[in-house]
Amino acid sequence: MPDLAAFQNGFASALMADGEAGPSFQSQAFAVYRNTAARGAIEALRASYSTVDMLLGEEMFTQVALDYRREQPPAGPVLSDYGANFAEFLARQPWTCELPYLANVAWLDWLWLQSFLAGDANAMPHELAGGTSITLHPATRFAWLTTPAMTIWLAHRDPWEAGELDPEWQEEGALFTRVDQTVRAELIGADFHWMLLVCSVPTSVRDLASAVAAAFPAANVQELLQRGVASGALIIQ
Amino acid sequence: MTPTAGLSFKPVHYEQAMACPAAGMWFEVHAENYMVDGGPRLAMLETLRKRFPLSFHGVGLSLAGIGEPDRDHLARFKRLIDRLDPFLVSDHLAWSRHGDVSFPDLLPFPRTNEALDVVVRNIDITQSILGRQILIENPSLYMKIEGHEWPESLFLAELVKRTGCGLLVDVNNVFVSASNLGFNPISYLDALPRGVIGEIHLAGHSEDPHLGRSLLIDSHDAPISQEVWRLYDWLLARCGADRPPTLVERDDSIPSFDALLAERDKAAGMMAGLREVVHA
Repeated sequence: MPDLAAFQNGFASALMADGEAGPSFQSQAFAVYRNTAARGAIEALRASYSTVDMLLGEEMFTQVALDYRREQPPAGPVLSDYGANFAEFLARQPWTCELPYLANVAWLDWLWLQSFLAGDANAMPHELAGGTSITLHPATRFAWLTTPAMTIWLAHRDPWEAGELDPEWQEEGALFTRVDQTVRAELIGADFHWMLLVCSVPTSVRDLASAVAAAFPAANVQELLQRGVASGALIIQ
Repeated sequence: MTPTAGLSFKPVHYEQAMACPAAGMWFEVHAENYMVDGGPRLAMLETLRKRFPLSFHGVGLSLAGIGEPDRDHLARFKRLIDRLDPFLVSDHLAWSRHGDVSFPDLLPFPRTNEALDVVVRNIDITQSILGRQILIENPSLYMKIEGHEWPESLFLAELVKRTGCGLLVDVNNVFVSASNLGFNPISYLDALPRGVIGEIHLAGHSEDPHLGRSLLIDSHDAPISQEVWRLYDWLLARCGADRPPTLVERDDSIPSFDALLAERDKAAGMMAGLREVVHA
């Protein structure tokens, strides 16, 4: 009589093992399970990293996703959680030295997804007085990138732009906000990025203005703040 | 309105779903796809819920797993249930988690006395945390596994007896498993206890590209086969007047909403006792 733990140990190991199915019914039948389990993880990763999929092509993405799954299989059944460190995995792969922006693009795909799935909050119109407390909307995600990955990401999200792409090789800031249940993406400058960083914890408008002015003396803090609120990135508490 | 026949909800069909006037209509979703904090996906489901009854079908409780159900996952499931108040909640007689690894699949196991105790324990934990009865679905089976001490239908009956859960009978899965493993699907259905089926699933299947008809795959990518419609008809007759809500599932090669609605209407007609079925 098979022991349940021993059976599941053996079955789980076999599911993660490489290999071709033999011609027998049992081998083909087992392959149904192995293929379904692998395909579920690969397609979840593809859905979360659609720009990386576009850049690599279906076949290459599938191979990379298999490598990633071998190292880091899904840890839970909610597949939108899967692949949180795919960008870091890509950055470690020797072959990505020929695509130095790829890991950054992957990180942008992940930030877009996190913005899409984040909690809701109502942005209330409010006077921006000095003592007003301001913070990030739950769906706000942002990053500072060492490559022009946001330009590349935006171009691939807009098929009319991708064909004319010739980005200037420079650092970039990226912002994702969710307004009216739609995720919006835009390039941001270093001063705006710094303001968002400061707002990662609720802060008063007065303290925020001081922090931004100290780091970026030439910045128009009032304009940055109004842009942050208008874009939906910031909410007033 | 009493739910009769429903459809698996596809966001691509949202507008047509919201406008659907069919009496008794309801929708089912895979719960894991909506275990998120907020955003458009959840907002869409909340709007749908205001108009139709919803059923939550889990694929990740791993009820036949050697370990206990993941408490964090159950907490997320409970939050979703509390938020949207589904009229049915279900998962599968299968396992999908092993240690820290989750497999996006419904895996088989030897139905032993030991396994029965494990599944009873896991259903008890789940029903206790969710605070409600769940329905257990028979999975599609592909492999012959040594060491079964229970036929699946009697195993399910024992689960009902010991946990108070209900059954979700997937007629396509019965057909696929019976075809793959060589048992009689009518005998299987006839061995299920009466009065405990809370839901029926109908779906399409396909043939394995290498082995053809000798290995059927529960692919959910095709119309419901005639054999499955006949089994459904038989099961409805066995249920008598107590006909469970029936779901038409499709997860791949998604056709138009009208094409799915035609299959749904056919099931609704059969539930109503019509043998001359519309949209056949």
